[in-house]
Amino acid sequence: MDIKSFFIKRSVEIIVIFFIMMTILFLLFHFAPGDPVSMMVDPSMTSEDAQYMISQLGLDKPLLTQYLVYLKNFFQGNLGNSFYYGEPVIGIIGNRLPNTILLFTTSIIISAFAGVFLGKIAAWHKGEKIDTFGTIAALVCHTLFLPWTALIIIWVFGYKTGLFPLGGMLTPELWINPETNFLIKGIDIIYHMTLPLFTLCIIHFGSYMLIMRSSMLDVMGEDYILTAKAKGVSDKCICNHHIAPNASLPVVTSIGLSLAFSVNGGALTEIIFSWPGLGRELIFAVTNNDYPLALASFLFIAIVVLIANFIVDILYTYLDPRIKY
Amino acid sequence: MAYKTRYFNQASAFLIIFLFLFSCFFSCSSKLDRDILKIGISEEPETLNIWLASDTNSRKILSLVYQNLYIRDPETLKLIPWLAKADPLYDPEDLSYTVKLRNVKWSDGSDLTADDVVFTVNLIKQFKVPQYISKWRFVKKIEAVDKRTVKFYLSKPKAIFLTRSLGIPIVSKKEWSLVVKKALSKKKSYKALINHKIENPLGCGPFVLKERRCGAYIFFEKNRFFFGKGKTIKGRKLGPYIDKLLFKVYRSADVAILALKKGSIDYYWACIQPGHVDGLSRDQNIKVFVSKKSAFYYMGFNLRKTPFSDPYLRRAIAVLIDKKFIVSRILQGFATEMSSVVPKGNEFWHNPDLPMYGAGLTRDERIQRAYKLLALRGYSWEIPPVNDKKEVVSPSTIRLLDGKPMEEFTILTPPAGYDPHRAACGTIIQEWLKDLGLPVTSRPMSFGALLDKVKARHDFDTFILGYGMLSLDPDYLRSFFYSKNNRTRGWNMSGYNNKEFDKLADASLAEMNNDKRRQLIWEMQSVLLNDIPYFPLYNPTLIEAVNNKNFTGWVKMVGGIGNIWSLCSVKPAQGTSKK
Repeated sequence: MDIKSFFIKRSVEIIVIFFIMMTILFLLFHFAPGDPVSMMVDPSMTSEDAQYMISQLGLDKPLLTQYLVYLKNFFQGNLGNSFYYGEPVIGIIGNRLPNTILLFTTSIIISAFAGVFLGKIAAWHKGEKIDTFGTIAALVCHTLFLPWTALIIIWVFGYKTGLFPLGGMLTPELWINPETNFLIKGIDIIYHMTLPLFTLCIIHFGSYMLIMRSSMLDVMGEDYILTAKAKGVSDKCICNHHIAPNASLPVVTSIGLSLAFSVNGGALTEIIFSWPGLGRELIFAVTNNDYPLALASFLFIAIVVLIANFIVDILYTYLDPRIKY
Repeated sequence: MAYKTRYFNQASAFLIIFLFLFSCFFSCSSKLDRDILKIGISEEPETLNIWLASDTNSRKILSLVYQNLYIRDPETLKLIPWLAKADPLYDPEDLSYTVKLRNVKWSDGSDLTADDVVFTVNLIKQFKVPQYISKWRFVKKIEAVDKRTVKFYLSKPKAIFLTRSLGIPIVSKKEWSLVVKKALSKKKSYKALINHKIENPLGCGPFVLKERRCGAYIFFEKNRFFFGKGKTIKGRKLGPYIDKLLFKVYRSADVAILALKKGSIDYYWACIQPGHVDGLSRDQNIKVFVSKKSAFYYMGFNLRKTPFSDPYLRRAIAVLIDKKFIVSRILQGFATEMSSVVPKGNEFWHNPDLPMYGAGLTRDERIQRAYKLLALRGYSWEIPPVNDKKEVVSPSTIRLLDGKPMEEFTILTPPAGYDPHRAACGTIIQEWLKDLGLPVTSRPMSFGALLDKVKARHDFDTFILGYGMLSLDPDYLRSFFYSKNNRTRGWNMSGYNNKEFDKLADASLAEMNNDKRRQLIWEMQSVLLNDIPYFPLYNPTLIEAVNNKNFTGWVKMVGGIGNIWSLCSVKPAQGTSKK
């Protein structure tokens, strides 16, 4: 199959999978117990008032009708308004998404670079102190409980030493000052990003390092590496040009998927660091039965994951020419 | 290897420069304006549209903008005129109330007139705004007599008109008339109304919203047209005395408390868990406020189902529940035991003379009393919980009046992550009930699923729920227990049906004399405590904390220090203001 046919086949597959997911998500949310009106615990609201609200939100219609309306609106580019924010969900996602991408994508890139680099060193020095220490460190970091780690980091670097802010994405006192320029605002965001980024990198670098190390060890046992050594190729060249590229396939898969899932953020990280991202909104939408917001968020994640998978598949053909579709 | 050393040196140098730059940046930013009152909130407000706002934080923010005709005095809790000039005048002839307005201006400098009040009420009626409409259905007409006089005509006498109806926030006709016109032209007019985005609400409160950055902050400035500025109302000379007010979002309570201690915020406007009190009290800059709360946490029974339809079984369960233990051990003393559905702090309406099931008894005595109550009623056990020597023993499963063993039932509670106290109550009550041979399991479940089971589907045995913000008018008794509210999504979740209670509830709603109404409300409480559709457990106290280094003058009232009185009274602490 040539790349063009592969492209067309996968695109069709993505569209079909997307619509299956959309239907499943729609049904899941509507079959989940509760509705947004039940969550409004105001004793002065009578059952008639609640019913009126349900009809205004269009939730009194049969499920099939609701689904068809949803599909129709979807094709018109309207994903509905949040029941609680009263705003179009696209706007809500659009507001939070850049913050999530900024923090989580950066953290994945940094931790992936660190993990790959350290994994490479650990594998090359297998059995030496640097390998033992690195592997233990990676395992410890990988198994750290995120909320606990985050709170300890905030306590040490934010509260005790006062080097970094305790949370949030910016310093409001700076931003409300009309004299604050763009550069300062940018630095302010990076300043606020430091602690959550540090926490995420600590938690995530371990898994990349372990994957890279084990993949490198597999490749190091291959005959062509022995041949390269016998030919007198330098260690640096063998490590960087013979082993690392061949060992990178599983890491690329992992990074690709992590990057795709990074759009849903991490609710815990966002809550503890008061980072205004999409993860917390997702949890909020699901727990409060805010169907339009929850559906739109999940659909968005589904699209990104499907596309990322597609890109990873294409990348494979470049990284390993033996792979053919 | 040389390249490794090079990498290490470069990374170290980068890290040191990075830390140095940010430390400098931080030291600059920490010296920012200390004249700004900084308040931490747990979530950002979902909306600034008053007709949609149902979450606590939106209401907190909007309470600074939109004002009511009457508000509660922080000490006596009596309603006092706010936007209104004086108490309303009642004319029993035509069942009308006349309210005179103060000379009030909106934050854009225009006058707040009787037309705005008429417009607000008409909006609620036209759109049937669910949060407010039940308080206005019985008002048949409202008219602006002159620029500052409004007259409300009632279809029949209603006691809640003063306490509930007149407590609505007044909106500006100028701001909303176009929105209303546009929304009314839509098929789903209410939906169109709540989907209208408000960026800068026009209000008449002490502060004007200047800027809102989603998820980060909300910035207010003093309203120079605020009607209360310099006025003395109920012995308090009102400000606001601060020029700028900043709300910051701290989603983790632990981090918010660190921010409070560090001085990043001056007040955390949310309830603090008892576990933090000791740590906060040790800090000399922190002042902890413990306030009463108009709240009610209870165990409810499904009276539609056997055996919970039997009041004797419910009374026996009530005897087994040790509220003193719950308050002292689970809530660490930061709560009061509830003996009625109306909290004790609501002194005027609370009936102090109600049966106290099992109060003062030891665990064994409770079991013995509950056993006696049920045995006399006709319940039986293969191995009774109390043996012939009157000793408490481990019983077999209780047999119901028909002789069959009772089936396993559940106590539904919110999960510990949502409310650890209610979840813990469920577990401990489960153990106490097992002492009597009641086969029970406590089952925490997500709040939405719990409400769906209890309120919408009536598919439950027992549950533990609560109301964190009850109105001070006890009209909620009618909502919770009136037989007509026993329906899907109705507030009578227990399915309580008592004609005597309904009669009292109707009478209390129509009674305009407060003393006579109080007598009726007391009788309603008495009936309820006898029948126990809900068994009141506890009323938590509200723990809040402020950093008083920069600001002082907080006003404590039922519901905490986060109130309009505080924000009109808080002043920069001496020696901190730049001015």
